[in-house]
Amino acid sequence: MKVTLNWLKEYVDFDLSADELSHRLTMAGLEVDVMERLGEGLDSVIVARLADVQPHPDADRLTVCKVETGSVTQQVICGAKNHKTGDLVALAQVGTVLPGNFKIKKSKIRGQESCGMLCSVSELGLADESEGILILPPGLLLGQPVFNELGLKDIMYEIGLTPNRADCLSVVGVAREVSAMVDASLRLPEIVVTENDNLASEKTSVVIEDADLCPRYAARLIENVKIGPSPEWLARRLEAVGMRSINNVVDVTNFVMMELGQPLHAFDFNLLREGRIVVRRAQDGEQFTTLDDQVRTLIGSDLMICDGVGPVALAGVMGGQNSEVSPETTNILLESAYFNPTAIRRTSKRLGLHTESSHRFERGTDVDMVPMALDRAAALIADLASGTIAHGVVDVYPVDLIRRAITITASHTSQVLGLEIDADGICNRLNAIGLKCDLIVDQHDGAVNVEIPHFRPDLEREIDLIEEVARLIGYDQIPVTMPVSSLNCQPLPVHLSLASQVRDQMAQMGYAEIINYSFFNADCLKKLGLDETDPRWQCVQVLNPLTEEQGSMRTTLVPSLLETAARNLAYRSEDLALFELRPVFQSVDGTDLPHENLRMVAFLCGKREPLGWAQSSENSDFFDMKGVVEQLLTDLRITNVNWKSGHDEHFYHPGKSCALYQGERLLGTLGELHPEVSHNFDLGQSAILCDLDVEALIELSGGTVKFQPLSRYPDVQRDSAFLVDAEISAQQVFAVLGQVRLKNLESIELFDVYCGEGVPAGKKSLAIRACYRAPDRTLTDELIQNLHGKLIKAMEKQLGAELR
Amino acid sequence: MKDKLKEIEEAALLSATEVVTETELQQVRARYLGRKGEITAVMKGMGQLSPEERPLVGVLANEVKDRLEAAFSERQEALRQEIMQQNLANEKLDVTLPGRKQRRGYKHPITLVTEEIVTIFASLGFGVAEGPEIEKDFYNFEALNIPKDHPARDMQDTFYISEEVVLRTHTSPVQIRTMLEHAPPVRVIAPGTVYRRDSDITHSPMFHQVEGFLVDRKVTFGDLKGILTTFINEFFGESVDVRFRPSFFPFTEPSAEVDIQCVICGGSGCRVCGQSGWLEILGSGMIDPEVFKSVNYDPEVYSGFAFGMGIERIAMLKYGVNDLRLFFENDLRFLKQF
Repeated sequence: MKVTLNWLKEYVDFDLSADELSHRLTMAGLEVDVMERLGEGLDSVIVARLADVQPHPDADRLTVCKVETGSVTQQVICGAKNHKTGDLVALAQVGTVLPGNFKIKKSKIRGQESCGMLCSVSELGLADESEGILILPPGLLLGQPVFNELGLKDIMYEIGLTPNRADCLSVVGVAREVSAMVDASLRLPEIVVTENDNLASEKTSVVIEDADLCPRYAARLIENVKIGPSPEWLARRLEAVGMRSINNVVDVTNFVMMELGQPLHAFDFNLLREGRIVVRRAQDGEQFTTLDDQVRTLIGSDLMICDGVGPVALAGVMGGQNSEVSPETTNILLESAYFNPTAIRRTSKRLGLHTESSHRFERGTDVDMVPMALDRAAALIADLASGTIAHGVVDVYPVDLIRRAITITASHTSQVLGLEIDADGICNRLNAIGLKCDLIVDQHDGAVNVEIPHFRPDLEREIDLIEEVARLIGYDQIPVTMPVSSLNCQPLPVHLSLASQVRDQMAQMGYAEIINYSFFNADCLKKLGLDETDPRWQCVQVLNPLTEEQGSMRTTLVPSLLETAARNLAYRSEDLALFELRPVFQSVDGTDLPHENLRMVAFLCGKREPLGWAQSSENSDFFDMKGVVEQLLTDLRITNVNWKSGHDEHFYHPGKSCALYQGERLLGTLGELHPEVSHNFDLGQSAILCDLDVEALIELSGGTVKFQPLSRYPDVQRDSAFLVDAEISAQQVFAVLGQVRLKNLESIELFDVYCGEGVPAGKKSLAIRACYRAPDRTLTDELIQNLHGKLIKAMEKQLGAELR
Repeated sequence: MKDKLKEIEEAALLSATEVVTETELQQVRARYLGRKGEITAVMKGMGQLSPEERPLVGVLANEVKDRLEAAFSERQEALRQEIMQQNLANEKLDVTLPGRKQRRGYKHPITLVTEEIVTIFASLGFGVAEGPEIEKDFYNFEALNIPKDHPARDMQDTFYISEEVVLRTHTSPVQIRTMLEHAPPVRVIAPGTVYRRDSDITHSPMFHQVEGFLVDRKVTFGDLKGILTTFINEFFGESVDVRFRPSFFPFTEPSAEVDIQCVICGGSGCRVCGQSGWLEILGSGMIDPEVFKSVNYDPEVYSGFAFGMGIERIAMLKYGVNDLRLFFENDLRFLKQF
């Protein structure tokens, strides 16, 4: 909603600076989004008279104008067509900087000198668009600043209104707020309606068939109007608040809507068949052409304004082409009505047709403003379009809308706000914004009965009034306190703290966290090579996505991870270690909401260590990622897991990937990316990936640290290297070593795997280091020999290992 | 024999001063003091002495041994010092070479800011709750006093999954879920991902919020100001000015928008704050009685406040990030800065 300082001052006297007013409005809940000083810095745009206009000798579309400024006459080249000798125009002198940082310089245009520019309305920043240059009304003083002469020096405020404040969708509504701020009275415009002798009720009639959607409809007949351009003041005022000037009649309806908040509509009365109005619901499938040339198909809940034959306007939203005011119009039927907000909203929303009018009706207009706005507009049209007003108003208002009455108590108000206020204080505040208050004297809690005027449909309950009181006192006047509340322990939910632990660990292990959109295009699952039967194809679909790329909710984090990696590689970040820990979404039949499952994916490629003179330059590999996952498992205290090379995940290299299980439960997968998938995602290199079910990890995680006493006796280490078949997996070796269950065996590490020179083909060498220690004594050589011998024997017996 | 000892001692002392390495010293030591050394050899001849002479020579031999022992030790210490000094003089690093780089990961700035906010509210006694990102219309709108056809639905453009299921447009449904599960008093914050159908330079279709609310007996608007002012001063610093101004949210009444003094220009007006000197960072208000009704709390007995803030916005202000889209592009050059 845009208002200007000068316009506000017509309804309330106040003396606040432009900045102060902006601040006060914002602090009263009418947030000023933009403040614009109209005409600032444009004093060098002056009134000038066209002494002579001649065609440019070398350009068909230009004119050479001799311009009198009172003191001198200068030559200006102009490209407009709407000017002639004798017109007063707005001359931007050399040196002027017009809005948009457009500086006027002395120049030559096609060989002709041009000193300054003749401005259009939009070039002066008065409207967004305009045609031709501004022709000023006669009688202005030559050489004077145009903005001063037209009274256009003004401040425009654009207020970002919240949807509850329908009352401030008018200049008078904002002025009412200002009057409360400065403790001055609100002055509504004086209206004098001079009527002719023709009885309106004899020439036209209004019938409301659906009073539930249209509780009130009033009309006036204005005869013998002359449609023409609006006077300067009206056009400029509308333009200042962002509306285009169209003609005197339409401009008046818009002006009154901006002034009083009541949308109006002017029909060409001669085009209304049978000269009458019927307000009714549309028939399903009925077609109607609105003013914007669009054919609209209606449904039964749309409210229509009809004449004796059919629709002439989409009630409260837009007029119809068939009854539009045109230059030939002579008689006008002016509509002022109150429509049901929900009905208007539904129609407007369904048709995607949002207008200044529907914007107001759907937020709730003031039914009591209907006759006043009608009279105001009729009087202005009579004045500006030289028409005469037929006698009487046709005002159909079958059932008076009841004004709501609400009781507010001082005690409750004080309690909610945390400050002391009495009933008188409440009355004073609420009176200031036009609410009628009555003290209820026989109650102790300072009760006040408040009658809510129709311009405040948002005030429905006591709490709404309490908010008004707080607003009018000023939120900054409410003391700052701390709540008094009982203490209770609120530990972090386990899954939150563990998810956060995993994030911390990943960051510590060198991975950078990424956050991708939860949306994806399910087609990217093809690039992963997922089977058609894969449940991850069962995506939750977004009904109204912004783009196709965001059409579904992710069922896997892998595609966006790979896309992120590819993008970073393209930016030449070459050594990547990334992870994402977020939910994926899976449709589940028979439940209201999809299943949200927390997963973590990680990506690794490039060098293991950052580039440096003392750094290793090896590439990272499968075992880097495996080490990360193992560390996570250790820290989450998850044991008894096993790694299986067989799995169904097709986006991995089949020979360099595995699945992680605990028992039968799949916890995740890990491996080198399949070269085809790497190709599909434009990675141009191999990479290691893991994809973990964090929900499962959290569930299996548990237990606290259990301290193991430290032995004060020395350990003894024994290293042994075995030759085994190349086919034998490390897991088999550990299984065998684990089964021996030696007492005093503290740890076994596999510290070398080797095949090559010195090792027969089909075999590999595994070196282990066993560490023995007893809690209570130093182990003897003999005992250790015995223990270690058992290990060796088990290896030989069960795996056919050969000691090297 | 005495002369012999004397002779050996002199020769040994001389050798000790002549050696230049520890190994040579060991050899000299062995030559004189070792089991097969010269002193031992002399001692072996003691049997030939008369019983009167024997103890005298014995004492003398031991004295010689002790003196040599001391001389060798001294020499050894001197040599050790000498070698150490030599090594110290020779060994030199170019300490200006860069250190061995450690690989370090990074948490996403959204995570960092969320954690910081949660920590501050946890210190004020707030618990943490969560809710689903795909949410029922009832929790996201209806129970929050936003019926269908209400103009307030225009404030939030919604992604729909079905007529009754939406991508949550705010974290406020967690309020409803929490209050339906727990009787008052409650004191909870709920960080989470939210979605709105809007995408341009200042809007992302997915972003993050932290919701907070407190319900108890006799909670006032002044308490709301107290908690939020405390939070802002903890997060942005004690000296940052805060202001509360009227606004509108369907689920709070009275509602307040909370602004802080612009952290970029300090309040004098700049591009970030649109010359106003203030930055909007929080929406808040007293929980509307209608909301209490939908969770079966008695509005006559309990009152409370709720607030919500956009994490991206707060992160942008905290770190001076100038483009919202950076948070979701995951450019390593961006992520590495946090």
